[in-house]
Amino acid sequence: MRPEAGATLAMYDLGGFWDEMFEADGRVREHYAQLAGRLATLSPQDVTRRQVAAELSFQARGITFAVNQDPGGLEKIIPFDLIPRIITAEEWRRIERGLEQRVRALNLFLHDVYHEQKILRSGLVPPELILGARGYRREFRGVEVPRGVYTHVVGSDLVRDASGEFYVLEDNLRTPSGVSYVVENRRVMKRVWPQIFADHDIRPVEGYPQDLLDVLRAVAQPIASEPTVVLLTPGVHNSAFFEHAFLAKAMGIEMVQGSDLFVDDATVYMRTTSGRQRVDVIYRRIDDDFLDPLAFRGDSLLGVPGLLATYRMGRVSVANAIGTGVADDKAIYAYVPTIIKYYLGEDEILPNVKTYVAADPLERAYILEHIAELVVKSVNESGGYGMLIGPHAPAADHEEYRRRIIADPRGYIAQPTLALSRHPSWQNERLDGRHVDLRPFILFSGDEVTVTPGGLTRVALRKGSLVVNSSQGGGAKDTWVLA
Amino acid sequence: MLCRVADDLFWMSRYVERAIGVSRLIDVTRHLELDAGDIDFWTPLVPPGITVTGDVRFWLTSADENPDSLVCCVRRARELARGVRESISSEMWEELNQLHASLTRPTATREVRGDAGGFHRLVRERLQHVQGLADATLAHDEPWHFIEIAMYLERAHATTMLLHRQGHLLTTVEGTDTDLVKWLAVLRSAGCAEGYARYYALRIEPARIIEFLLLNPVFPQSVRFSLTRASESIGIIAALREGAGNDPGPAVRTIGRARALVEHGAVDEILEQGFAEFLGTVQSALASVSDQVTATYLRDQPQSSRLGGVERAAVLMAEQQQQ
Repeated sequence: MRPEAGATLAMYDLGGFWDEMFEADGRVREHYAQLAGRLATLSPQDVTRRQVAAELSFQARGITFAVNQDPGGLEKIIPFDLIPRIITAEEWRRIERGLEQRVRALNLFLHDVYHEQKILRSGLVPPELILGARGYRREFRGVEVPRGVYTHVVGSDLVRDASGEFYVLEDNLRTPSGVSYVVENRRVMKRVWPQIFADHDIRPVEGYPQDLLDVLRAVAQPIASEPTVVLLTPGVHNSAFFEHAFLAKAMGIEMVQGSDLFVDDATVYMRTTSGRQRVDVIYRRIDDDFLDPLAFRGDSLLGVPGLLATYRMGRVSVANAIGTGVADDKAIYAYVPTIIKYYLGEDEILPNVKTYVAADPLERAYILEHIAELVVKSVNESGGYGMLIGPHAPAADHEEYRRRIIADPRGYIAQPTLALSRHPSWQNERLDGRHVDLRPFILFSGDEVTVTPGGLTRVALRKGSLVVNSSQGGGAKDTWVLA
Repeated sequence: MLCRVADDLFWMSRYVERAIGVSRLIDVTRHLELDAGDIDFWTPLVPPGITVTGDVRFWLTSADENPDSLVCCVRRARELARGVRESISSEMWEELNQLHASLTRPTATREVRGDAGGFHRLVRERLQHVQGLADATLAHDEPWHFIEIAMYLERAHATTMLLHRQGHLLTTVEGTDTDLVKWLAVLRSAGCAEGYARYYALRIEPARIIEFLLLNPVFPQSVRFSLTRASESIGIIAALREGAGNDPGPAVRTIGRARALVEHGAVDEILEQGFAEFLGTVQSALASVSDQVTATYLRDQPQSSRLGGVERAAVLMAEQQQQ
């Protein structure tokens, strides 16, 4: 008798974690029953063959990311994990409502912070935390943004803890990335394992680029009747360059670099082969600091001189707006439930992870004392950089982070080390549990909030690891939301 | 379309065409060596002013210090394609990407040694596939015209260079079998042996070879054919620019004059008045056209940031947080 992949279902070790596919007693969760049935009919070699075919497909299509800080240019594929993650319609509805609430509240918060600043006077959020945030751009106070939209694109990271409850771990409100993998993972999955799609009613994710284009066109200033939208990329050495090209192509817009644009007479133009062409909306994937060498970093070669003055005059739209970093600062994050309550009068639907803000003397004392149990994060970093996982780190690192926190309390927060949920992953010809998170993508046009049904499930492929970032060896799964 | 994108497509296309030419040249010279091994056929393939220490064939195929080696051309074409992948079809990008991957595999050099003929044939087929895909999968609008201009300018340049460098093979008229082999090699280097045979159905003679490669109106490797196609595309690009109220630039006139040289030239006159001189005139016209296309369409204005600090720019690009 040939061995079946199903045999590994029986041997699967839950490891004491909340598992996405299995109940605590080892039974397959109802919405995974079809998948388990399929797996039971396949030999491990069959599954591995599909896994290899998927990886070859990513390689051939050049779906790669450049490893950060390595401009010499290693291109790697994100490891793809063949076993899909499945989310029920009911669970998704709650996620969707929770994210919509969060994005609306954060946009009201950003508008307030850059206008009346009522929340500063309310005493609910320490004013120095907001005004001292690295992402706060005081020079943009009073600048109107079209339709009051600050965060056109949001990618929030959700995790489940040991109880199976979803929490928001962080919001990415500046240049969230990864959505191209959502679409590509689905495409590759259909190619290498078409049979399983017949068993499920899965909501499609291909609509994202068109939804994004609708949002970008919606925020064009009224002076543009047929707006020209462009995507501004830092260029080919950026880690997410593939995504920039993917989105520009899918939306049918030009992908520009800073040197392709110039400002003349309070208008942004791009240099084309038949002369200058006016630009109305810029979907930028460049940090605030680099957008305009006249305004921020004088040494920036990536930006466009005069862009910000033009933006301030309302003659060009920029998405996401400038200064959204104040709202995804990890210390401000701790106050998002308060922010939701303050602006919407509602309780948060998706809870935050308990967060200790080192800027607060009492909480700082707690962090310093319990550093070995906590995850410490720098408030401004992303991609898994600038982070300490207390229980996994040696004592020397604890000391190092204690020193850093004392030197710069505003720069750090800490959270309890979560027992992140696990999902079966195809490793060494068998199913093995790996920790996962979920990054849904949310679009906001001023009226509507659209959450793409799916999102990116990131997997910490190293056994026992809690870090899912691609820059740190994380992989990705196709993520299905059932209709 | 964006000047930068047009510029990158232009050079991508040139490198693809250049790689095809280099591959064919290596392949043919290898055969030539087998037939008449007493002569050094390799050294004349090295441009004047360059000394190659070691194997010329390796230098042409994969030496990093030769920017026009086959492998370097493919690498540069692929790098450029990666930067403008939103402007070309996925099929084109994937073909170039996979070719590049297969050339950079550690086993690639072993394959070259084992079956050089098969290797070059495969590489050429894939590169020609890229060109075919450009024709079949892109709209024949601006980006495609830049790809065309670059391909035909490069091809015309390569054919004149071939006549220049392999001219020595055409001059030794002894009526021996070896001569025939050499003359055939010149035709094969331009991928024209079958075309020539079908067109003339006559014995191979040096003057006819020159006529065929320079002046033939219908064969796609000839200088005349290439200039005709390039000038048609330049005309369309210039008209677009003029339509937008801008100066169309001098490239249309320059390529028109170069076309006149090969459209109204006769091979006996050319040989009488000096073959090398004629080639020189055509080559300098081609260089002017390329410069003028670049100045008018590919550079909107001098961009200091693109000239200096390239490495610094790479670091800044990489630093941009993608959350």
